Amino acid sequence: MRNVLKKGFISFVFVGVCGGAFWIPNEVVAQSSLLFRTYKREVPQKLSETPEAVAEGKKVYEKRCWYCHGIEGKGDGPAAVTMFPKPRNFTRNEYKVRSTAFGSVPADEDLFRIITSGIEGTAMPFWSTITETERWQVLYYVKTFNDQFKKDAPPKVIPVGSVPSTPESIQRGQELFKEMKCYECHGEDGRGNGPLTVALQTEWSLPYRARDLTKGWNFKGGNTIEDIYRTISTGFNETPMGSYLEKLSDEDRWHVAHYVKSLAKDMASDVVVKVKLFEGEELPSEPLDENWSKASAVEIPLAGQILVSPRHWAPSIDAIQVRALYNNNEIAFLLEWDDATNRQEEIFRDAVSLQFPIKIPESLKKPYFAMGDSSGSVNLWSWKAHWQEGFGTVVEAPETEQGVVSELNAKGFKNVTVQPPESQNVTGKGMYQNGRWKAVLKRTLNTEDVKGDIQFEIGKLIPVAFAVWDGSNSDVGGQKSVSSWYYVSLEKPVPKTVFAYVLVALIMGASVEMWFIARLRRFPPKLEEEEQE
Amino acid sequence: MANKRSAFLLIWVITAVGCLYGFLKYASPKIFQILMAKDHPMPTPSTLMMWYMIMGVLAGLVYATTSNQKFVDFLSFLLPGHGPLIKSFLQKILFIGFPLLVGWFVYTWAIPGAASPVELRIQHPTLPQDFEKLENPFRQADAETQRKCIEEGKILFQTYCRPCHGSKADGNGPFANSFRLRPINFQDPGTIATVVDNYLFWRIKEGGPGLPSESTPWDSAMPSWKDDLKDDEVWKIIMGEYDTAGVMPRQREKLE
Repeated sequence: MRNVLKKGFISFVFVGVCGGAFWIPNEVVAQSSLLFRTYKREVPQKLSETPEAVAEGKKVYEKRCWYCHGIEGKGDGPAAVTMFPKPRNFTRNEYKVRSTAFGSVPADEDLFRIITSGIEGTAMPFWSTITETERWQVLYYVKTFNDQFKKDAPPKVIPVGSVPSTPESIQRGQELFKEMKCYECHGEDGRGNGPLTVALQTEWSLPYRARDLTKGWNFKGGNTIEDIYRTISTGFNETPMGSYLEKLSDEDRWHVAHYVKSLAKDMASDVVVKVKLFEGEELPSEPLDENWSKASAVEIPLAGQILVSPRHWAPSIDAIQVRALYNNNEIAFLLEWDDATNRQEEIFRDAVSLQFPIKIPESLKKPYFAMGDSSGSVNLWSWKAHWQEGFGTVVEAPETEQGVVSELNAKGFKNVTVQPPESQNVTGKGMYQNGRWKAVLKRTLNTEDVKGDIQFEIGKLIPVAFAVWDGSNSDVGGQKSVSSWYYVSLEKPVPKTVFAYVLVALIMGASVEMWFIARLRRFPPKLEEEEQE
Repeated sequence: MANKRSAFLLIWVITAVGCLYGFLKYASPKIFQILMAKDHPMPTPSTLMMWYMIMGVLAGLVYATTSNQKFVDFLSFLLPGHGPLIKSFLQKILFIGFPLLVGWFVYTWAIPGAASPVELRIQHPTLPQDFEKLENPFRQADAETQRKCIEEGKILFQTYCRPCHGSKADGNGPFANSFRLRPINFQDPGTIATVVDNYLFWRIKEGGPGLPSESTPWDSAMPSWKDDLKDDEVWKIIMGEYDTAGVMPRQREKLE
């Protein structure tokens, strides 16, 4: 009998656990990881390079690749117009990710790996979905576009030993980063804002951008330490990123790689921006205020505005970091984003905006995430960099330009109104430093303009969306980087009464326990058989 | 009289309940991450967790009361008496631990928690009537015209749809990670393969803003293309899209 009960219960719990499995997928799971690509380094057995393989490769190429890379491999396919960075031109030797010396064509294995894993931060997808044979065939076809491949295969650059990542190695790497003048393109903090990058921009037929080394998700050849080492060693053909094979010893290249790796961060994203109650007297209003470190930072990915025409296919800003603090009276946001330059023109200005619905939604229904719609108005807080004649060189002093703040309402892209001067309640200022804009936007929690302004409430989930403009990328109006709806939540402070509750609970818990044990000691449990004896 | 194991019955029951908690909280999210091939853990919902814990505690108590002998063993652990040193040590831990556990429950219940957003939506709303009767003008054409249409459609797809839906129509374009409602993976047999092609015509023409409210149009990043693409172009894109994704549209049922 006992066994039956026991088994019954165990199987009951087991069935319950299994049943629960079918519930789980229906739950909303917060977006945590943004990377989906896996780099595979292993290259399988080579297929022999026969005319038949090339012919088969042509078929694959003309089924899958030519839309971007062009039918003649010139990187001018019909889809290339909505792309930046542009697709590779196979007729020139502009191959970037190689294990071979600078100026050489890549090894077959390099090409195989790129076809398999794709290139981060570009439109090149991972083709691990087609067979290995097809991948070999198509790469043999791609090689026919450039005669340089017909010469003997160039020798590969083989890493000699490796140096483990230690604080000393990173330190040495940082020194070499300065000595080798890496900052001239990649910037002092590695944000791709070096003076040379900015100056070179107009001399190239396409805007040329040094990599922002802090964005680990955009490393073209992969962001593992071996990948970074390889890029430093072999360089990127047809770009100012040269090879440091001869300029630096093998060991030093590992040091630089470790330093670069230490700069690269993942995107720490979340759906809810949690706003903490600020204990000080006045909320910070300066972008560099050290109190901002008390706020938790959330990084939000941005895409081009592709919803209404003219669409923005090539945004240069792909993330914005948000922090916020509130007190009894006000709320302040610190918005930060990397921008290689603060160069701008009268029309094309660097700018950022926060978007809220005009009222906290009571149901699921919200206004349209891109500028609202006819049935749902949004409240916009906009900050624009100051512009003046002659402005456009790199400004390094932090205090230089504070920018202009304005408050707007929108019911769709074509229905935007600036609020009248008496309703302009948002204040703020911005600054540009080392490749990063920082802007503070601040407003009272509640305003008199209840029809046009969001009224903040503690503990509620308040939808928020973001937009960023890069003047040097000719961003203006609808030409901008945008996000979907996220949320801000003003966290309720922990009331002091909680500790009283806990104390009462502790005392009650202890009392019940003592009573139970006392009773147990007074009337110890006995087996019935014993009692009967 | 009682062997060592039954003298520690109370501890075994508590350990079992603790293991159940550990499994639900830490092991199960990992297991389902692997089973469902997701790139993030699948946390156990909190209400479900509560029910399992209640069931677990009840199961423990039921087990302890399946015989009088067991019940006596179960309670006797709390009585003073000779036993190994570990027994009095565990007794002390229990004695201090119980009020702390109660205090912890009250604390977690009393502190203000951050609400997490509920975003329920219907992914496949019903096709509006206006679009039901439409026919793809190129589906009846000869093979050569169809082939041309597919090729033209693929070029348009690669130009306008690729940034989000990806070159392979797998929902992995460069912008895909930036929208919280990820672009649809058309290769998935549960998406465009389950609908007739005028459903796609409706979605391309009207985009996110054309969705009914149960499908949260305010969150959808699907643009409305009715002002920018001609009807013919949309039909070609649909043909190119099915071809790129390697699936076929659902065929209409013949009523006659």
